[in-house]
Amino acid sequence: MRTRPPAPEDFRSRLRSAAVTSRVGLWLAVAFGVCFVTGLVSHYAQLPQQPVRFPASPAWGYRVTQGLHVISGTAAVPLLLVKLWSVYPRLFLRPSRRVRAVLVELAERASIGVLVASAVFLLASGLANMTAWYPWDFSFRSTHYALAWVAIGALVLHVAVKLPRIRQALGSDIDDDRLDRPSATEPGVLSRRGLLRTTWLAAGVAMVATAGNSVGWLRDVSVLAVRSSDGPQGLPVTKSARAAGVLETATSPAYRLSVEHAGRNRALTLAELQALPQTTETLPIACVEGWSENAEWTGVRLRTLLDLVGAPTGATVSFESLQESGPFRTSALPASFADDDRTLVALQVNGEGLALDHGYPARLIAPNRPGVRQTKWLSRVVVG
Amino acid sequence: MTTARWSLGLVGVAAGLYGSWLLLSRQSGDQLVSAAGWLVGGVVLHDFVLAPVVLVAVAVAGRLAPRPVRAPAAVLLVVIGSVTLVAVPVLGAFGRRADNASLLDRDYWTGWLVLVGVLVVLVAVGSLVQRWRRGDGADPGR
Repeated sequence: MRTRPPAPEDFRSRLRSAAVTSRVGLWLAVAFGVCFVTGLVSHYAQLPQQPVRFPASPAWGYRVTQGLHVISGTAAVPLLLVKLWSVYPRLFLRPSRRVRAVLVELAERASIGVLVASAVFLLASGLANMTAWYPWDFSFRSTHYALAWVAIGALVLHVAVKLPRIRQALGSDIDDDRLDRPSATEPGVLSRRGLLRTTWLAAGVAMVATAGNSVGWLRDVSVLAVRSSDGPQGLPVTKSARAAGVLETATSPAYRLSVEHAGRNRALTLAELQALPQTTETLPIACVEGWSENAEWTGVRLRTLLDLVGAPTGATVSFESLQESGPFRTSALPASFADDDRTLVALQVNGEGLALDHGYPARLIAPNRPGVRQTKWLSRVVVG
Repeated sequence: MTTARWSLGLVGVAAGLYGSWLLLSRQSGDQLVSAAGWLVGGVVLHDFVLAPVVLVAVAVAGRLAPRPVRAPAAVLLVVIGSVTLVAVPVLGAFGRRADNASLLDRDYWTGWLVLVGVLVVLVAVGSLVQRWRRGDGADPGR
Protein backbone atom coordinates (compact mmCIF):
# COMPACT_ATOMS: atom_id res chain seq x y z
CA MET A 1 0.00 0.00 0.00
CA ARG A 2 1.23 3.48 -0.87
CA THR A 3 0.82 6.06 1.83
CA ARG A 4 1.86 9.19 -0.08
CA PRO A 5 -0.86 11.38 -1.60
CA PRO A 6 -1.53 10.76 -5.28
CA ALA A 7 0.62 12.56 -7.85
CA PRO A 8 -0.40 13.59 -11.38
CA GLU A 9 1.70 10.74 -12.81
CA ASP A 10 -0.56 8.22 -11.06
CA PHE A 11 -3.43 9.14 -13.38
CA ARG A 12 -2.72 7.19 -16.53
CA SER A 13 -5.91 7.31 -18.63
CA ARG A 14 -5.41 9.06 -21.97
CA LEU A 15 -8.98 10.34 -21.68
CA ARG A 16 -7.72 12.94 -19.20
CA SER A 17 -6.37 15.08 -22.02
CA ALA A 18 -6.46 18.73 -23.00
CA ALA A 19 -8.23 17.51 -26.15
CA VAL A 20 -11.23 16.46 -24.01
CA THR A 21 -10.96 19.31 -21.48
CA SER A 22 -10.98 22.04 -24.14
CA ARG A 23 -13.96 20.59 -26.04
CA VAL A 24 -16.09 20.12 -22.94
CA GLY A 25 -14.83 23.45 -21.59
CA LEU A 26 -15.96 25.25 -24.71
CA TRP A 27 -19.56 24.12 -24.22
CA LEU A 28 -19.37 24.74 -20.50
CA ALA A 29 -18.30 28.31 -21.24
CA VAL A 30 -21.26 28.64 -23.63
CA ALA A 31 -23.65 27.35 -20.94
CA PHE A 32 -22.23 29.72 -18.32
CA GLY A 33 -22.32 32.59 -20.81
CA VAL A 34 -26.00 31.99 -21.54
CA CYS A 35 -26.73 31.72 -17.80
CA PHE A 36 -24.87 34.95 -17.09
CA VAL A 37 -26.53 37.02 -19.81
CA THR A 38 -30.05 35.71 -19.11
CA GLY A 39 -29.44 36.23 -15.39
CA LEU A 40 -28.48 39.86 -16.03
CA VAL A 41 -31.68 40.28 -18.09
CA SER A 42 -33.73 38.89 -15.20
CA HIS A 43 -32.12 41.22 -12.65
CA TYR A 44 -32.48 44.22 -14.93
CA ALA A 45 -36.14 43.40 -15.55
CA GLN A 46 -36.72 43.60 -11.81
CA LEU A 47 -35.14 47.01 -11.29
CA PRO A 48 -37.69 49.62 -10.23
CA GLN A 49 -35.80 52.35 -12.11
CA GLN A 50 -34.42 51.29 -15.48
CA PRO A 51 -31.98 53.71 -17.18
CA VAL A 52 -32.84 52.00 -20.49
CA ARG A 53 -36.48 50.94 -20.61
CA PHE A 54 -37.03 47.20 -20.53
CA PRO A 55 -39.30 46.48 -23.53
CA ALA A 56 -42.87 45.24 -22.98
CA SER A 57 -42.69 43.27 -26.23
CA PRO A 58 -42.42 40.48 -27.08
CA ALA A 59 -44.68 39.35 -24.26
CA TRP A 60 -42.88 35.97 -24.18
CA GLY A 61 -39.38 37.49 -23.96
CA TYR A 62 -38.83 36.90 -20.25
CA ARG A 63 -40.34 33.45 -20.55
CA VAL A 64 -37.64 32.55 -23.08
CA THR A 65 -34.68 34.17 -21.29
CA GLN A 66 -35.53 32.69 -17.91
CA GLY A 67 -36.30 29.28 -19.45
CA LEU A 68 -32.87 29.39 -21.12
CA HIS A 69 -31.31 30.37 -17.80
CA VAL A 70 -32.45 27.27 -15.93
CA ILE A 71 -32.06 24.92 -18.91
CA SER A 72 -28.46 25.96 -19.63
CA GLY A 73 -27.65 25.86 -15.91
CA THR A 74 -28.98 22.31 -15.75
CA ALA A 75 -26.98 21.27 -18.83
CA ALA A 76 -23.85 22.75 -17.22
CA VAL A 77 -23.89 20.16 -14.40
CA PRO A 78 -22.71 17.14 -16.47
CA LEU A 79 -20.37 19.39 -18.46
CA LEU A 80 -18.73 20.71 -15.29
CA LEU A 81 -18.41 17.22 -13.77
CA VAL A 82 -16.70 15.77 -16.86
CA LYS A 83 -14.45 18.78 -17.22
CA LEU A 84 -13.33 18.60 -13.59
CA TRP A 85 -12.78 14.84 -13.99
CA SER A 86 -10.51 15.47 -16.97
CA VAL A 87 -8.25 17.87 -15.04
CA TYR A 88 -8.44 16.16 -11.64
CA PRO A 89 -4.72 15.09 -11.70
CA ARG A 90 -3.74 18.77 -11.65
CA LEU A 91 -5.12 19.02 -8.12
CA PHE A 92 -2.10 16.97 -7.01
CA LEU A 93 0.63 18.94 -8.82
CA ARG A 94 3.66 19.41 -6.57
CA PRO A 95 4.70 23.04 -6.06
CA SER A 96 7.82 24.36 -7.81
CA ARG A 97 11.08 24.96 -6.01
CA ARG A 98 11.60 28.50 -7.30
CA VAL A 99 9.90 31.35 -5.42
CA ARG A 100 8.76 33.23 -8.49
CA ALA A 101 7.21 30.11 -10.00
CA VAL A 102 5.49 29.29 -6.72
CA LEU A 103 3.84 32.71 -6.66
CA VAL A 104 2.53 32.25 -10.19
CA GLU A 105 1.29 28.77 -9.34
CA LEU A 106 -0.44 30.02 -6.20
CA ALA A 107 -2.16 32.78 -8.14
CA GLU A 108 -3.36 30.29 -10.74
CA ARG A 109 -4.55 27.81 -8.10
CA ALA A 110 -6.42 30.58 -6.29
CA SER A 111 -8.17 31.70 -9.48
CA ILE A 112 -9.12 28.09 -10.33
CA GLY A 113 -10.33 27.59 -6.76
CA VAL A 114 -12.54 30.67 -7.04
CA LEU A 115 -13.87 29.48 -10.41
CA VAL A 116 -14.72 25.98 -9.20
CA ALA A 117 -16.21 27.17 -5.90
CA SER A 118 -18.41 29.81 -7.50
CA ALA A 119 -19.45 27.53 -10.38
CA VAL A 120 -20.48 24.69 -8.06
CA PHE A 121 -22.23 27.20 -5.80
CA LEU A 122 -24.26 28.73 -8.65
CA LEU A 123 -25.41 25.36 -10.02
CA ALA A 124 -26.20 23.83 -6.62
CA SER A 125 -28.00 26.87 -5.21
CA GLY A 126 -29.92 27.40 -8.47
CA LEU A 127 -31.15 23.80 -8.57
CA ALA A 128 -32.21 23.94 -4.92
CA ASN A 129 -33.91 27.32 -5.30
CA MET A 130 -36.01 26.04 -8.21
CA THR A 131 -37.62 23.55 -5.82
CA ALA A 132 -38.19 26.15 -3.07
CA TRP A 133 -35.56 24.41 -0.94
CA TYR A 134 -33.45 26.95 0.94
CA PRO A 135 -30.98 25.12 3.21
CA TRP A 136 -28.94 28.28 3.86
CA ASP A 137 -29.01 31.60 5.71
CA PHE A 138 -27.88 33.93 2.92
CA SER A 139 -30.14 35.83 0.55
CA PHE A 140 -30.39 33.65 -2.55
CA ARG A 141 -31.02 36.49 -4.95
CA SER A 142 -28.12 38.75 -4.03
CA THR A 143 -25.63 35.93 -3.41
CA HIS A 144 -26.44 34.10 -6.66
CA TYR A 145 -26.12 37.42 -8.49
CA ALA A 146 -22.82 38.45 -6.87
CA LEU A 147 -21.25 35.03 -7.39
CA ALA A 148 -22.36 35.05 -11.03
CA TRP A 149 -20.04 38.04 -11.51
CA VAL A 150 -17.29 36.25 -9.60
CA ALA A 151 -17.71 33.07 -11.68
CA ILE A 152 -17.83 34.84 -15.04
CA GLY A 153 -14.81 36.95 -14.06
CA ALA A 154 -12.81 33.88 -13.01
CA LEU A 155 -13.92 32.12 -16.21
CA VAL A 156 -12.74 34.99 -18.43
CA LEU A 157 -9.42 35.11 -16.55
CA HIS A 158 -9.05 31.32 -16.93
CA VAL A 159 -9.66 31.57 -20.69
CA ALA A 160 -7.12 34.40 -20.96
CA VAL A 161 -4.48 32.34 -19.14
CA LYS A 162 -5.15 29.16 -21.10
CA LEU A 163 -5.89 30.68 -24.50
CA PRO A 164 -2.84 29.40 -26.43
CA ARG A 165 -3.35 25.89 -25.06
CA ILE A 166 -7.10 25.99 -25.76
CA ARG A 167 -6.46 27.07 -29.36
CA GLN A 168 -3.84 24.39 -29.83
CA ALA A 169 -6.08 21.68 -28.39
CA LEU A 170 -9.19 22.72 -30.33
CA GLY A 171 -7.14 23.10 -33.51
CA SER A 172 -5.67 19.60 -33.45
CA ASP A 173 -7.23 16.19 -33.89
CA ILE A 174 -8.99 14.82 -30.86
CA ASP A 175 -6.63 11.83 -30.65
CA ASP A 176 -3.53 13.98 -30.96
CA ASP A 177 -1.35 13.37 -27.86
CA ARG A 178 1.14 16.25 -28.11
CA LEU A 179 -0.55 18.15 -25.27
CA ASP A 180 -0.97 15.13 -23.01
CA ARG A 181 0.86 14.46 -19.77
CA PRO A 182 3.64 11.90 -20.47
CA SER A 183 2.03 9.38 -18.11
CA ALA A 184 -1.44 9.63 -19.71
CA THR A 185 -1.05 6.80 -22.21
CA GLU A 186 -3.41 4.05 -21.03
CA PRO A 187 -6.42 3.62 -23.35
CA GLY A 188 -9.74 4.15 -21.55
CA VAL A 189 -12.81 1.93 -21.87
CA LEU A 190 -14.23 4.67 -24.09
CA SER A 191 -12.47 6.54 -26.86
CA ARG A 192 -12.10 10.30 -26.47
CA ARG A 193 -14.89 10.75 -29.00
CA GLY A 194 -16.95 8.24 -27.05
CA LEU A 195 -16.45 10.23 -23.83
CA LEU A 196 -17.45 13.48 -25.56
CA ARG A 197 -20.60 11.91 -27.03
CA THR A 198 -21.43 10.52 -23.60
CA THR A 199 -21.04 13.99 -22.09
CA TRP A 200 -23.34 15.56 -24.70
CA LEU A 201 -25.83 12.74 -24.04
CA ALA A 202 -25.72 13.45 -20.30
CA ALA A 203 -26.29 17.18 -20.85
CA GLY A 204 -29.14 16.42 -23.28
CA VAL A 205 -30.84 13.98 -20.92
CA ALA A 206 -30.52 16.43 -18.02
CA MET A 207 -32.16 19.15 -20.13
CA VAL A 208 -35.00 17.01 -21.49
CA ALA A 209 -35.71 15.44 -18.08
CA THR A 210 -36.23 18.86 -16.46
CA ALA A 211 -37.25 21.35 -19.17
CA GLY A 212 -40.99 20.54 -19.08
CA ASN A 213 -41.28 23.42 -16.61
CA SER A 214 -40.76 25.93 -19.36
CA VAL A 215 -41.13 23.96 -22.61
CA GLY A 216 -44.74 22.80 -22.72
CA TRP A 217 -44.41 19.92 -25.19
CA LEU A 218 -41.72 18.29 -23.04
CA ARG A 219 -44.07 18.12 -20.06
CA ASP A 220 -44.84 14.42 -20.43
CA VAL A 221 -41.21 13.32 -20.77
CA SER A 222 -39.71 15.69 -18.20
CA VAL A 223 -40.00 13.21 -15.36
CA LEU A 224 -37.70 15.28 -13.13
CA ALA A 225 -39.33 18.69 -13.74
CA VAL A 226 -40.05 20.62 -10.55
CA ARG A 227 -43.62 21.23 -11.69
CA SER A 228 -45.89 19.38 -14.08
CA SER A 229 -47.22 22.86 -15.02
CA ASP A 230 -50.59 22.11 -13.53
CA GLY A 231 -52.28 23.76 -10.59
CA PRO A 232 -55.46 25.58 -9.74
CA GLN A 233 -57.06 26.81 -13.01
CA GLY A 234 -54.32 25.09 -15.02
CA LEU A 235 -51.53 27.30 -13.68
CA PRO A 236 -48.74 26.53 -11.20
CA VAL A 237 -48.36 28.60 -8.03
CA THR A 238 -45.10 29.88 -6.53
CA LYS A 239 -46.47 31.50 -3.36
CA SER A 240 -49.81 30.37 -1.97
CA ALA A 241 -52.37 32.64 -0.32
CA ARG A 242 -51.78 30.78 2.95
CA ALA A 243 -48.01 31.32 2.77
CA ALA A 244 -48.58 35.01 2.02
CA GLY A 245 -50.96 35.29 4.99
CA VAL A 246 -53.79 36.85 3.00
CA LEU A 247 -56.55 34.22 3.47
CA GLU A 248 -58.69 36.61 5.53
CA THR A 249 -57.93 39.98 3.99
CA ALA A 250 -58.37 38.72 0.41
CA THR A 251 -61.81 37.26 1.10
CA SER A 252 -63.05 40.01 3.43
CA PRO A 253 -66.18 41.98 2.35
CA ALA A 254 -64.22 45.10 3.35
CA TYR A 255 -61.80 44.54 0.43
CA ARG A 256 -61.10 47.66 -1.62
CA LEU A 257 -58.55 48.35 -4.33
CA SER A 258 -57.23 51.84 -3.76
CA VAL A 259 -56.03 53.77 -6.84
CA GLU A 260 -54.08 56.90 -5.94
CA HIS A 261 -52.49 59.80 -7.78
CA ALA A 262 -51.51 63.25 -6.49
CA GLY A 263 -54.07 63.42 -3.71
CA ARG A 264 -56.86 61.85 -5.76
CA ASN A 265 -57.98 58.50 -4.49
CA ARG A 266 -60.58 55.96 -5.64
CA ALA A 267 -61.37 52.89 -3.54
CA LEU A 268 -63.06 50.19 -5.61
CA THR A 269 -64.86 47.06 -4.45
CA LEU A 270 -64.56 43.87 -6.47
CA ALA A 271 -68.08 44.49 -7.85
CA GLU A 272 -67.07 47.97 -8.95
CA LEU A 273 -63.96 46.56 -10.65
CA GLN A 274 -66.14 43.99 -12.41
CA ALA A 275 -68.47 46.75 -13.58
CA LEU A 276 -65.66 48.58 -15.40
CA PRO A 277 -64.97 47.66 -19.08
CA GLN A 278 -63.33 44.21 -19.19
CA THR A 279 -60.51 43.18 -21.55
CA THR A 280 -59.07 39.73 -22.23
CA GLU A 281 -55.39 39.19 -23.07
CA THR A 282 -53.37 36.01 -23.57
CA LEU A 283 -50.13 36.52 -21.65
CA PRO A 284 -47.55 34.16 -20.18
CA ILE A 285 -46.75 34.09 -16.51
CA ALA A 286 -43.02 33.32 -16.21
CA CYS A 287 -41.46 32.68 -12.82
CA VAL A 288 -37.82 33.41 -12.00
CA GLU A 289 -37.61 29.77 -10.89
CA GLY A 290 -37.99 28.78 -14.53
CA TRP A 291 -41.57 27.61 -14.96
CA SER A 292 -43.82 29.46 -17.36
CA GLU A 293 -47.31 29.03 -18.75
CA ASN A 294 -49.61 30.93 -21.08
CA ALA A 295 -53.02 31.94 -19.78
CA GLU A 296 -56.03 33.99 -20.80
CA TRP A 297 -56.43 36.88 -18.37
CA THR A 298 -59.55 39.00 -18.08
CA GLY A 299 -59.82 42.23 -16.13
CA VAL A 300 -59.60 46.00 -16.23
CA ARG A 301 -56.95 47.69 -18.35
CA LEU A 302 -54.50 49.41 -16.01
CA ARG A 303 -54.94 52.57 -18.13
CA THR A 304 -58.70 52.58 -17.40
CA LEU A 305 -57.96 52.60 -13.66
CA LEU A 306 -55.30 55.29 -13.98
CA ASP A 307 -57.75 57.47 -15.93
CA LEU A 308 -60.16 57.34 -12.96
CA VAL A 309 -57.66 59.40 -10.94
CA GLY A 310 -56.41 61.48 -13.89
CA ALA A 311 -52.89 59.99 -13.88
CA PRO A 312 -50.70 60.97 -16.83
CA THR A 313 -48.91 58.48 -19.07
CA GLY A 314 -45.16 58.04 -18.73
CA ALA A 315 -45.19 57.49 -14.97
CA THR A 316 -43.91 54.55 -12.93
CA VAL A 317 -46.76 52.85 -11.06
CA SER A 318 -46.29 51.03 -7.78
CA PHE A 319 -48.38 48.05 -6.78
CA GLU A 320 -48.93 46.89 -3.22
CA SER A 321 -50.17 43.53 -2.10
CA LEU A 322 -52.37 42.58 0.86
CA GLN A 323 -49.41 40.46 1.87
CA GLU A 324 -47.97 42.05 5.01
CA SER A 325 -44.31 41.23 4.58
CA GLY A 326 -41.83 39.71 2.18
CA PRO A 327 -39.54 41.20 -0.45
CA PHE A 328 -42.18 40.96 -3.18
CA ARG A 329 -45.01 42.68 -1.31
CA THR A 330 -44.64 45.67 -3.61
CA SER A 331 -43.58 46.08 -7.21
CA ALA A 332 -42.72 49.15 -9.26
CA LEU A 333 -44.01 48.92 -12.81
CA PRO A 334 -41.98 51.06 -15.23
CA ALA A 335 -43.94 53.38 -17.51
CA SER A 336 -43.30 51.28 -20.64
CA PHE A 337 -45.39 48.53 -19.04
CA ALA A 338 -47.90 50.75 -17.26
CA ASP A 339 -48.79 52.43 -20.57
CA ASP A 340 -49.05 49.16 -22.50
CA ASP A 341 -52.63 48.28 -23.42
CA ARG A 342 -52.04 44.62 -22.59
CA THR A 343 -51.30 45.41 -18.93
CA LEU A 344 -54.29 44.43 -16.82
CA VAL A 345 -55.52 44.35 -13.28
CA ALA A 346 -56.80 40.82 -13.80
CA LEU A 347 -59.92 39.49 -12.08
CA GLN A 348 -60.21 36.22 -14.01
CA VAL A 349 -57.92 33.63 -15.50
CA ASN A 350 -58.86 31.04 -18.13
CA GLY A 351 -62.51 32.06 -17.88
CA GLU A 352 -62.93 31.77 -14.10
CA GLY A 353 -62.59 34.22 -11.22
CA LEU A 354 -58.98 34.14 -9.93
CA ALA A 355 -58.28 31.35 -7.47
CA LEU A 356 -57.05 32.60 -4.09
CA ASP A 357 -53.58 31.24 -4.87
CA HIS A 358 -53.49 33.18 -8.14
CA GLY A 359 -54.16 36.51 -6.43
CA TYR A 360 -57.95 36.83 -5.80
CA PRO A 361 -59.57 39.33 -5.88
CA ALA A 362 -57.21 41.19 -8.28
CA ARG A 363 -53.65 40.84 -9.55
CA LEU A 364 -51.31 42.62 -11.90
CA ILE A 365 -50.48 40.97 -15.22
CA ALA A 366 -48.18 42.70 -17.72
CA PRO A 367 -46.34 41.38 -20.77
CA ASN A 368 -42.66 40.36 -20.62
CA ARG A 369 -42.32 40.67 -16.82
CA PRO A 370 -40.79 38.38 -14.19
CA GLY A 371 -43.67 36.56 -12.47
CA VAL A 372 -42.48 37.60 -9.04
CA ARG A 373 -43.23 41.23 -9.99
CA GLN A 374 -46.77 40.42 -11.19
CA THR A 375 -48.16 41.39 -7.80
CA LYS A 376 -51.01 39.23 -6.45
CA TRP A 377 -53.78 40.18 -3.97
CA LEU A 378 -53.55 43.84 -4.99
CA SER A 379 -54.48 46.42 -2.37
CA ARG A 380 -53.05 49.69 -3.69
CA VAL A 381 -52.06 51.12 -7.06
CA VAL A 382 -50.08 54.34 -6.62
CA VAL A 383 -48.95 56.56 -9.49
CA GLY A 384 -45.69 58.52 -9.30
CA MET B 1 1.13 37.03 -22.87
CA THR B 2 -0.14 39.25 -25.64
CA THR B 3 -1.95 42.53 -25.07
CA ALA B 4 -5.26 40.91 -25.99
CA ARG B 5 -4.80 38.20 -23.38
CA TRP B 6 -3.72 40.69 -20.74
CA SER B 7 -6.78 42.84 -21.44
CA LEU B 8 -9.07 39.81 -21.32
CA GLY B 9 -7.49 38.76 -18.05
CA LEU B 10 -7.96 42.23 -16.58
CA VAL B 11 -11.62 42.28 -17.62
CA GLY B 12 -12.01 38.96 -15.80
CA VAL B 13 -10.32 40.25 -12.66
CA ALA B 14 -12.46 43.40 -12.72
CA ALA B 15 -15.71 41.40 -13.03
CA GLY B 16 -14.57 39.09 -10.23
CA LEU B 17 -13.73 42.01 -7.95
CA TYR B 18 -17.08 43.65 -8.68
CA GLY B 19 -18.83 40.39 -7.77
CA SER B 20 -16.81 40.06 -4.57
CA TRP B 21 -17.71 43.60 -3.59
CA LEU B 22 -21.41 42.88 -4.31
CA LEU B 23 -21.17 39.73 -2.20
CA LEU B 24 -19.45 41.37 0.76
CA SER B 25 -21.30 44.69 0.83
CA ARG B 26 -24.95 43.63 0.75
CA GLN B 27 -25.30 41.05 3.50
CA SER B 28 -24.71 40.57 7.21
CA GLY B 29 -21.84 38.58 8.72
CA ASP B 30 -24.02 35.51 9.43
CA GLN B 31 -25.21 35.41 5.85
CA LEU B 32 -21.65 35.64 4.55
CA VAL B 33 -20.56 32.80 6.82
CA SER B 34 -23.36 30.66 5.38
CA ALA B 35 -22.37 31.56 1.81
CA ALA B 36 -18.70 30.82 2.58
CA GLY B 37 -19.70 27.41 3.94
CA TRP B 38 -21.46 26.63 0.68
CA LEU B 39 -18.55 27.87 -1.42
CA VAL B 40 -15.97 25.79 0.43
CA GLY B 41 -18.35 22.87 0.92
CA GLY B 42 -18.98 22.54 -2.82
CA VAL B 43 -15.28 22.26 -3.62
CA VAL B 44 -14.58 19.87 -0.74
CA LEU B 45 -17.55 17.65 -1.63
CA HIS B 46 -16.46 17.47 -5.25
CA ASP B 47 -12.69 17.15 -4.87
CA PHE B 48 -12.49 14.94 -1.80
CA VAL B 49 -15.77 12.99 -1.82
CA LEU B 50 -17.40 12.71 -5.25
CA ALA B 51 -14.20 12.51 -7.34
CA PRO B 52 -12.49 9.84 -5.15
CA VAL B 53 -15.72 7.80 -4.98
CA VAL B 54 -15.95 7.85 -8.79
CA LEU B 55 -12.23 6.94 -9.08
CA VAL B 56 -12.62 3.97 -6.74
CA ALA B 57 -15.87 2.84 -8.40
CA VAL B 58 -14.27 2.98 -11.84
CA ALA B 59 -11.14 1.13 -10.63
CA VAL B 60 -13.21 -1.62 -8.98
CA ALA B 61 -15.59 -1.95 -11.95
CA GLY B 62 -12.57 -2.03 -14.28
CA ARG B 63 -11.30 -5.17 -12.53
CA LEU B 64 -14.61 -6.93 -11.89
CA ALA B 65 -16.75 -6.15 -14.93
CA PRO B 66 -16.39 -8.37 -17.99
CA ARG B 67 -14.75 -6.53 -20.90
CA PRO B 68 -17.86 -6.14 -23.13
CA VAL B 69 -19.90 -4.28 -20.49
CA ARG B 70 -17.20 -1.80 -19.46
CA ALA B 71 -17.86 0.82 -22.14
CA PRO B 72 -21.68 0.81 -21.79
CA ALA B 73 -21.24 0.87 -18.01
CA ALA B 74 -18.99 3.94 -18.29
CA VAL B 75 -21.57 5.70 -20.47
CA LEU B 76 -24.32 4.89 -17.97
CA LEU B 77 -22.18 6.05 -15.04
CA VAL B 78 -21.65 9.48 -16.61
CA VAL B 79 -25.24 9.96 -17.75
CA ILE B 80 -27.15 8.48 -14.80
CA GLY B 81 -24.65 9.81 -12.27
CA SER B 82 -24.81 13.41 -13.41
CA VAL B 83 -28.58 13.41 -14.03
CA THR B 84 -29.14 11.94 -10.57
CA LEU B 85 -27.03 14.71 -9.04
CA VAL B 86 -29.19 17.27 -10.89
CA ALA B 87 -32.27 15.51 -9.52
CA VAL B 88 -31.26 15.52 -5.82
CA PRO B 89 -33.58 18.46 -4.92
CA VAL B 90 -36.63 16.88 -6.61
CA LEU B 91 -35.91 13.31 -5.45
CA GLY B 92 -35.54 14.55 -1.87
CA ALA B 93 -38.50 16.93 -2.35
CA PHE B 94 -37.12 19.01 0.50
CA GLY B 95 -39.08 22.07 -0.66
CA ARG B 96 -42.49 20.35 -0.74
CA ARG B 97 -45.20 22.33 1.08
CA ALA B 98 -48.69 21.36 2.20
CA ASP B 99 -50.16 24.66 0.97
CA ASN B 100 -48.85 24.41 -2.60
CA ALA B 101 -49.84 21.30 -4.54
CA SER B 102 -48.38 22.62 -7.80
CA LEU B 103 -44.80 22.48 -6.49
CA LEU B 104 -42.88 19.16 -6.74
CA ASP B 105 -46.09 17.51 -7.93
CA ARG B 106 -44.68 14.42 -9.62
CA ASP B 107 -43.69 10.97 -8.44
CA TYR B 108 -39.98 11.60 -8.95
CA TRP B 109 -38.65 8.21 -7.82
CA THR B 110 -40.86 6.41 -10.34
CA GLY B 111 -39.82 8.89 -13.02
CA TRP B 112 -36.15 8.39 -12.14
CA LEU B 113 -36.48 4.58 -12.29
CA VAL B 114 -38.21 4.78 -15.68
CA LEU B 115 -35.49 7.13 -16.96
CA VAL B 116 -32.74 4.80 -15.71
CA GLY B 117 -34.51 1.82 -17.29
CA VAL B 118 -34.86 3.58 -20.64
CA LEU B 119 -31.20 4.65 -20.58
CA VAL B 120 -29.97 1.14 -19.71
CA VAL B 121 -31.97 -0.36 -22.59
CA LEU B 122 -30.89 2.34 -25.07
CA VAL B 123 -27.20 2.11 -24.18
CA ALA B 124 -27.27 -1.71 -24.21
CA VAL B 125 -28.95 -1.79 -27.62
CA GLY B 126 -26.61 0.91 -28.93
CA SER B 127 -23.51 -0.93 -27.82
CA LEU B 128 -24.77 -4.28 -29.27
CA VAL B 129 -25.50 -2.60 -32.60
CA GLN B 130 -22.06 -1.00 -32.59
CA ARG B 131 -20.34 -4.30 -31.87
CA TRP B 132 -22.36 -6.14 -34.50
CA ARG B 133 -21.42 -3.50 -37.07
CA ARG B 134 -17.73 -3.84 -36.31
CA GLY B 135 -18.03 -7.60 -36.19
CA ASP B 136 -14.96 -8.00 -34.00
CA GLY B 137 -16.28 -7.45 -30.51
CA ALA B 138 -13.24 -5.45 -29.42
CA ASP B 139 -13.38 -1.99 -27.84
CA PRO B 140 -17.11 -1.38 -28.20
CA GLY B 141 -16.82 2.27 -27.17
CA ARG B 142 -14.61 3.35 -30.06
